Amino acid sequence: MARPPIEVENVTKDFGKFKALEDVSLRVPQGNVLGLLGHNGAGKTTLVNILSTLSPPTAGTARVAGYDVVRQSRQVCARIGLTGQFAAVDEQLSGLDNLVLIARLLGATKRAAKQRAEELLTLFELTEAAKRPARTYSGGMRRRLDLAASLVGHPDVIFLDEPTTGLDPTSRMGLWQIVENLVDDGTTVLLTTQYLDEADRLADSITVLSSGKVIASGTAEELKAEVGQRTATATLADAADSARALEALGRAGLSPVHDEQRNAITAPVNASHELAVVVRALDEAGIEVSGLGLGEPTLDDVYLNLAHHSAEPAA
Amino acid sequence: MTSTLTAPRTGAQQSTPDRTNWHGAGVWTQIVVLTGRSLRAVLKDPRIVVFSLLQPLIMLTLFSQVFGKALMSSIQTGSYINYLMPAILVTTGIGASLQSGVGLITDMKNGVLGRFRSLPIRMGSVLLARSLADLFRTAVQLVILLGAAAVLFGFSPKGGFLGTFSAWLLALLVSWSLTWVFLAIASWVRKEEVMQSVGFLAMFPLMFASSAFVPLDALPDWLSIVARINPLTYAVDASRDLSLAMPVGTGVLSAVGTSAVLLVVGAFFAVKGFRRPL
Repeated sequence: MARPPIEVENVTKDFGKFKALEDVSLRVPQGNVLGLLGHNGAGKTTLVNILSTLSPPTAGTARVAGYDVVRQSRQVCARIGLTGQFAAVDEQLSGLDNLVLIARLLGATKRAAKQRAEELLTLFELTEAAKRPARTYSGGMRRRLDLAASLVGHPDVIFLDEPTTGLDPTSRMGLWQIVENLVDDGTTVLLTTQYLDEADRLADSITVLSSGKVIASGTAEELKAEVGQRTATATLADAADSARALEALGRAGLSPVHDEQRNAITAPVNASHELAVVVRALDEAGIEVSGLGLGEPTLDDVYLNLAHHSAEPAA
Repeated sequence: MTSTLTAPRTGAQQSTPDRTNWHGAGVWTQIVVLTGRSLRAVLKDPRIVVFSLLQPLIMLTLFSQVFGKALMSSIQTGSYINYLMPAILVTTGIGASLQSGVGLITDMKNGVLGRFRSLPIRMGSVLLARSLADLFRTAVQLVILLGAAAVLFGFSPKGGFLGTFSAWLLALLVSWSLTWVFLAIASWVRKEEVMQSVGFLAMFPLMFASSAFVPLDALPDWLSIVARINPLTYAVDASRDLSLAMPVGTGVLSAVGTSAVLLVVGAFFAVKGFRRPL
């Protein structure tokens, strides 16, 4: 069994007295996406910098693609792609020249470099802008060029550090699709994000960082289950029914709440079969409903819940 | 942006048959490719060349015209321009090395340096490439200055072509070695404003408290003492010795030696400083 492409063991990083990372451990199996969630300053970028050999850990070990990030940094560099929060492209050079430059530095011949560059420009729909200096690109185009640049060498492992920060919604979804295609091709991805829907959509498993510590990890489902309850929501056809609806659901043993803005009654439910209880109670009371749904707890709930706990002072 | 991101197949694990070799270019290729990149940036923006020529041209004009007559009596080299030009070669070269440092800081703001760090290449290659591209630019700049001096101001040194050529080489060596010193400072301070003032503080006293523009005897006593310990005096004197076919003594040797030492020390600290995370 091959080693997982990303292995982090008890990594700590100090900047003077400030502990940016404290005893962080994680592994990402091949072809998986790990979502690294956390607010600004949680240590996400610090961890990415360590894994991409930009800065060494103060303690602990990290291996990427089977190589130690400190002792075998060149081997690591040769097998990773890094897309940071700011587009790492040469503003003076054209899109084509940027990609050719990187391919050449990776050791491609002139011809192979040009071929790979053109391939990527086509894939990322930058062919029309290929000869223009990158400084004339829009934010979305830059981000695409940047991602293309990190894929030039067919990396085994890709680090995406808040890849969609500052992108418009369409570009975001496009980028997600690109990441999903990468994963289909067997690439291992570590993705940092502040956007919970992004982690929910892309990540196979999620690690939540807060003040440099891992405060939770698991699949999105597991994290949600930890927070617990689902919510049943019944949208009323007639607003005047709200009092009766509250009464009916209360009799059925639930604790309903009236959401005036949406003109809906919401109630926490323990399992999906309790949705039937809601339906029956409303039906028996003769209340007409225009919509009915079962809400999963969102990662927002997870994150707020965890962040809330971790913010409490240690006793 | 109106074009949307659709879902390209990234082809990460397919195509491009020789991908197994893509684990980093050799050092030589790194240097060639990176030097090409820096040179292209210069060529694409000729304003850089024009403006970096303007200052030495103005200095050349002003000094030769303002001091020319006044200093004739105290100079034994024929005309003041013959005395001045070897110094202009050296000071222009040093000015260019300061610009290298400033350029490196500008470059650090360019995202691409961040990418270079995550590539399997040596940071020394990045710096060496920058210094070589700048050296090339300086070399061209000095040739243009020499041409201007000959055509406009009648510069015709006794050393002839060979002497002038050697002085040009010496100026380039001095410039290259100081480039590494300024690259070292730049990679530690990393702030353009600081770099500019460090450069200003270093350059002006060095330039004027030296034998660059007037003979040492023409300086007040205290200043001539400063000038005598100023390394620039030795570089300028060596350049003069070469172009004016004066006896070439230990001056040239010590200028070359000092440059070599500065180069090695500068390169050491430059690479060390540059490796620190951005």
